[in-house]
Amino acid sequence: MALTSPARPRYTIGVDIGGTFTDVVVLAADGAVSTSKAPTTPADFSGGVLDAIREAAVGLGLGMAEFLARTDLVKHGSTVATNALITRRGVTVGLITTRGFEDTTLIMRAVGRVDGLPEEEVRRVTSITKPEPLVPSERIRGVSERIDAEGEIVVPLDHDGVRAAVRTLVEDLSIDALAVSLLHAWRNPVHEAAIEAIVRDLYPDGRLFVSLGSRLSQVAGEYARANTAIADAFVGPTVRRYLSSLEAQLRADGFAGRILVMQGNGGLTIHELATPISTLQSGPAGGMLASALMSEVLGHRRAITADMGGTSFDVGIVDGGYWRYADEPVFERFRILQPITGITSIGAGGGTMARVDEATGRLLVGPESAGARPGPVCYGLGGEIPTVTDADLILGYIDPDYFLGGRQRLDLGAARAAIHQQLGKPLGLNLVEAAAGIVRIVDSKMSDLIRREVIRSGRRPDEFVLYAFGGASPVHAVGYARDLGVREIIVFPTSPVFSAFGIAGADLVHTRLATRAYPLPMPSATLNADLEALESSLAAELGRDGLDEAPEFRRYVTLQFRRQSTGEEIPLPWDRFTDERVAALPDIFVEHYERLYGKGIAYAEAGLDIAGLRVDAVGRVAKPELRPTEPGVVSVGEARKGERDAWFSGRFVATPVYDEARLGTGARLDGPAIVESPFTTVVVPPGASLAVDPYRNLVIRP
Amino acid sequence: MTGTTETTAPTRIDPVDYEIFAHRLWAIGEEGRIVLQRVTASPIVAQGGECMCSFYDVGGTMILACSGHLRFASATSDAIRRMIEWFDDDPGIHEGDEFIINDPYVAGSHTYDVMQIAPIFHVGRRVGWIASSSHTSDTGGVLRGAATEIFHEGIRILGLKIVEGGIFRQDVFKTIVEQCRDPHYVGMDIKSRTAANVVCARGYASLIEQFGIDFVQAAGAKLIADAEAMARRKLASIPNGTWRSRIYGSARNHATRASDPYQVICTATKRGDELELDFAGSSDQLTSDQNSTLPSTTAHVAIALTNQLFWDVPWSDGRLAPVRIIVPEGSALNCRFPAACGRSPRIGQYVVEAVRECLTKMLFAAGHDDDINASWGAFWYLGGPGFFYGGHNRRGLPNPQGLYDIHGGGLGAAPTRDGVPTGGQMNIPSGGISDVERVELQYPFLYFSRNHAVDGGGAGRWNGGTGSARLLMVHGSQDLSVDYAPYAGLPHGAFGLFGGYPVGTGGLRAILEPAAGFRQMLADGSYPADATEATADEIARVSLPPEGSGRVPVPEGHLLSDFTQGGGGYGDPLDREAEAVVRDVRRHVVSRRSADVIYGVVLDEQGSLDAAATDARRVTIRAERRTGVRSAMSATAGSPTDAAPDGPLLRFHETLEIVGTGANAAVRCRRCGEGLGPATDNYKRYALRRDRPLDELAGRAMPDGSAYRAVLREYACPGCATLLQVDVWCASLGGEEDLWDIRIDR
Repeated sequence: MALTSPARPRYTIGVDIGGTFTDVVVLAADGAVSTSKAPTTPADFSGGVLDAIREAAVGLGLGMAEFLARTDLVKHGSTVATNALITRRGVTVGLITTRGFEDTTLIMRAVGRVDGLPEEEVRRVTSITKPEPLVPSERIRGVSERIDAEGEIVVPLDHDGVRAAVRTLVEDLSIDALAVSLLHAWRNPVHEAAIEAIVRDLYPDGRLFVSLGSRLSQVAGEYARANTAIADAFVGPTVRRYLSSLEAQLRADGFAGRILVMQGNGGLTIHELATPISTLQSGPAGGMLASALMSEVLGHRRAITADMGGTSFDVGIVDGGYWRYADEPVFERFRILQPITGITSIGAGGGTMARVDEATGRLLVGPESAGARPGPVCYGLGGEIPTVTDADLILGYIDPDYFLGGRQRLDLGAARAAIHQQLGKPLGLNLVEAAAGIVRIVDSKMSDLIRREVIRSGRRPDEFVLYAFGGASPVHAVGYARDLGVREIIVFPTSPVFSAFGIAGADLVHTRLATRAYPLPMPSATLNADLEALESSLAAELGRDGLDEAPEFRRYVTLQFRRQSTGEEIPLPWDRFTDERVAALPDIFVEHYERLYGKGIAYAEAGLDIAGLRVDAVGRVAKPELRPTEPGVVSVGEARKGERDAWFSGRFVATPVYDEARLGTGARLDGPAIVESPFTTVVVPPGASLAVDPYRNLVIRP
Repeated sequence: MTGTTETTAPTRIDPVDYEIFAHRLWAIGEEGRIVLQRVTASPIVAQGGECMCSFYDVGGTMILACSGHLRFASATSDAIRRMIEWFDDDPGIHEGDEFIINDPYVAGSHTYDVMQIAPIFHVGRRVGWIASSSHTSDTGGVLRGAATEIFHEGIRILGLKIVEGGIFRQDVFKTIVEQCRDPHYVGMDIKSRTAANVVCARGYASLIEQFGIDFVQAAGAKLIADAEAMARRKLASIPNGTWRSRIYGSARNHATRASDPYQVICTATKRGDELELDFAGSSDQLTSDQNSTLPSTTAHVAIALTNQLFWDVPWSDGRLAPVRIIVPEGSALNCRFPAACGRSPRIGQYVVEAVRECLTKMLFAAGHDDDINASWGAFWYLGGPGFFYGGHNRRGLPNPQGLYDIHGGGLGAAPTRDGVPTGGQMNIPSGGISDVERVELQYPFLYFSRNHAVDGGGAGRWNGGTGSARLLMVHGSQDLSVDYAPYAGLPHGAFGLFGGYPVGTGGLRAILEPAAGFRQMLADGSYPADATEATADEIARVSLPPEGSGRVPVPEGHLLSDFTQGGGGYGDPLDREAEAVVRDVRRHVVSRRSADVIYGVVLDEQGSLDAAATDARRVTIRAERRTGVRSAMSATAGSPTDAAPDGPLLRFHETLEIVGTGANAAVRCRRCGEGLGPATDNYKRYALRRDRPLDELAGRAMPDGSAYRAVLREYACPGCATLLQVDVWCASLGGEEDLWDIRIDR
């Protein structure tokens, strides 16, 4: 079949829609990589996608039709679901839930009042409120039924009640989509399935979009599961419509291959079968996946992914090619249950604002951001509060005439005036000291976040390589990495389009997590039956994706000491259990646990429970191998494009500036130096060095 | 309260280094807290967040606490001071030691608050302290609800080294955990705090390595000094004056086994940049376990201050330096050893609300409108079954005791919006409640409902947020028991603002015995989805246990009904937009009856607004208010025309302002201009006063048929009949009849 046929794809296109730019990475069959960018078009995202693909065709010297005709796969990370949720532009959703629990998604476990808010906001105890619900009370209907925690039916489903509720929602309240989420459907989904059957019977035309909680997650926790069903229904029709429309436009332009959609779990699925909610956070997942791919190519066992953009700094951990999923990730202030790559964020980016606290004279940096509009003072778009980018500019790290490759001029004078007036004067610091202070503080906050994430993973920072990507990351990477003790920082040539690069290299992946409450020891047969059930349902999904060979499975088990609420997931070292292997679990877990939390903290005497199982099924998609390039005749001097003063260790230093495109494989240089490409500026301070590896990666020793 | 640190503030600290230090210290504490929450066995800690990691200077003054349970933030300073006082010489405090302590007469609120504190050493010298604290479910002793002296409340540790010289002491560990019903539970909790301290100690050492010990100590002192400066600045922005509050509660009387109401009285006097909180007039020590030790009262005062007044001030002891607290010894808020205090968090909540009522009105007078919330802790009544369970679940494990739905109570209304429904609790502003599915996996329960309570919030122009109500069945336990208190028919923990009702009238708290056919009814496909349905048609009836109170068994198949606290209202309910009330009724947060009786809003049979009937109803209610009496002679009140001289205005109340200064200053209605006496007198004495019986407002009796024991006392403007204040008044406790709640110095 097409995905795995021996004839390698001539081109694979990876697309990622970002807030400002839509990025494209093209992988050619011979391993060549090319990239392009076009402005994102929020009114109809497909416009930006087609523009970026057209731009790529131009770069390859091909017409659009010819380029698309020679493309086998378009792998697409779409922000459509994310955007529909952020802007609250979804469809009208109704919710059916267990009678007596109609307010579950409004109660939000009370924690919904603070979910998704930064610490600084949470402290405004008397003024923060819950977000407006996606489904208001008026469109929530309860139906009689009760299934207990063991999956036993205590009260049978009231079918007449279901019919009446559905009719009211559809005919009186004009819903476009229906979410269904019942208590303990993660354990026993029969009542949800029966409701779906009733809906299909009432409205056989299939126009009513239906989302079942039990299908989206097999994890206990009715609040987040109901949110998941609601969010899926809310964005579902919009996502489906977008994907169909994009497909039609690509077909019209001559594309005959397949469209695969990126999911938040870091894997692809075919677009016809994509669960809309699964596409949330596909951009960050792309970055994680790109990091995983590169860690494999470069032979790095552990990597920190550090993505610094305009408003936030996002950190992830890649260990052995994989990453953990977030527990109940909060999206737009709503907890959901989806396997989404575990990335932690703080408000630290180029647009992060700095101010002086009047009462204490403290220099506070973040978490508020000026965003892209009005943006930093130096953008000249009305921003009045100094930002990290303004400080970078004053310190000579970025070039006012070469920002975004010269597409945007920066106003150095305005940045200087703002920092002097608002920060330097009240703090009694000169202009440059104030700017350097902003940079040190923001670097230190990023460093704190990385340290926390690394330590939470049970490792030390010096066991990691750091991958720096996103617009502002390479400027600051040495700054935030130096006192962590990481050995190397890598800046990839695909850094400006890193998510698209990861998406272009992605495989088909489906994931299932299932809550369990199994006290150990227990018979291996039950566990094996669970694994088999999970695997066969995943294999069926991959079959629908068009994969006709056996998938690879990755299996995980979540263990906890009895009575704990939180477990720890560990990769299962076996395909199947035996009673001996079950008996070995406590020792394996105790070792893992004590690495995470310290010697003597494990408490095996308390007993051990299996709290959950997870299986990932991976269908490999053929892709070209990246080609290492031979070291050329390297003259660093030829790549030198100028010199400017940059601030290092308390003074301005004349710093050579290099053109990244002209630094060939094997090139080496010592700091101070600045390396520029149109979308990336790499700052190499004195004492650090930079080398170009065979994949044209910039390898910095901090 | 606490003075500033003994360390002298340095002349100059690099502001950039300082900022980096402050953030890193916070990040280290957060890291510790996350570890604690993952390792603990207590759901209230793991999911509810009832824990904290914090840092102290060498004398025990808190430098910084991370997010978490606020009660621990101030408690632990006391514990550290006492460890130094008692044990510095013998057995000595050494590097690698960690003390465990849970004596509420030293620090914390009850024996379930466990603190583990460790000294920090640098080149052989003690330079500071760290602490990791959390709630634990069990300390042995009698089960919750029956203790009358602290000796009943399980193991009380006045300071033991759980870690000594870096070695975890198995002897101490085993001795402690074996005092408890579920040693593994308690053991896991101890380990969680040790694990968090390891993280904090390692982080603190790295700070010293990076910045040097002199800088770390100077920066710590500056954090304390900064917090004090910010706190003083906030206080200085508020007009001088005296604010008073009275919050009611109830407790089981050990002798009579009935419940006795009690009161918490707070007088807040603000002068310049200092604040004095005096609890004189509060009830005497109780015979039950609901007493508060002085450390517990102080900790709860700190919660109120932190959330309401100093939310923008870092969590450091410096913020409490300008505050003086006076608590009469022998009162329920400063009980004498060995009074029991297992339920002190309950009376602690009333301390929080009493302080907050004063602070809220102070902040309003200062124009800090964003910081105003009515009560977060209002119950129409209390008594009946609590939420501390005994017995075993279907796996044979002891039930993990408490179920903390109170962490999702309704919040008070604000000047421009309704209170947040099911929004949280003052102790843990970022906490929450458990999923029903997770509860059912651990406890022997099957829920039939957890929804927003009907009439759970105080009525007002802006409603208090409603809490939640749950109805559940014992499912899979043969030996379940629950703490049970005698009913006390008066509003607890409640205050409304400026004419808003202090509390909602809804909720049923009771054990219900189902009728014989109940199981069959379930199998046939129906079940009661709230307390009203459960008690209608004889599906189930209120069961009054023969024991009366204490520990009460709840047989398999019996139902438990309860509700959490709601928020107080803001402003006159008659000013609430009628359509908003109709929407409240549709959303099942206000009953038709309350719409009519309290808001004066009449709905037609379809549930739409009957505008004409509503107008008429509201006219009638205003006329009823005019029948109220004014306790001051009307001759001194003056009329709108000759009311007050012109002069500077101070808006100290949503509907009232003070005109003029000095001896001529007078109070008048901002709506109709009516005068309400001189500013040197209590405006309530010039308002129309009317008492509203609680059964008339709620339309029902107490679950056990006992009489209500208080009234709602309404004060209305004699000019326009707008409600100015609604107080709870319990005559049997006595005290100032027309509590003079706001007295501004002009």
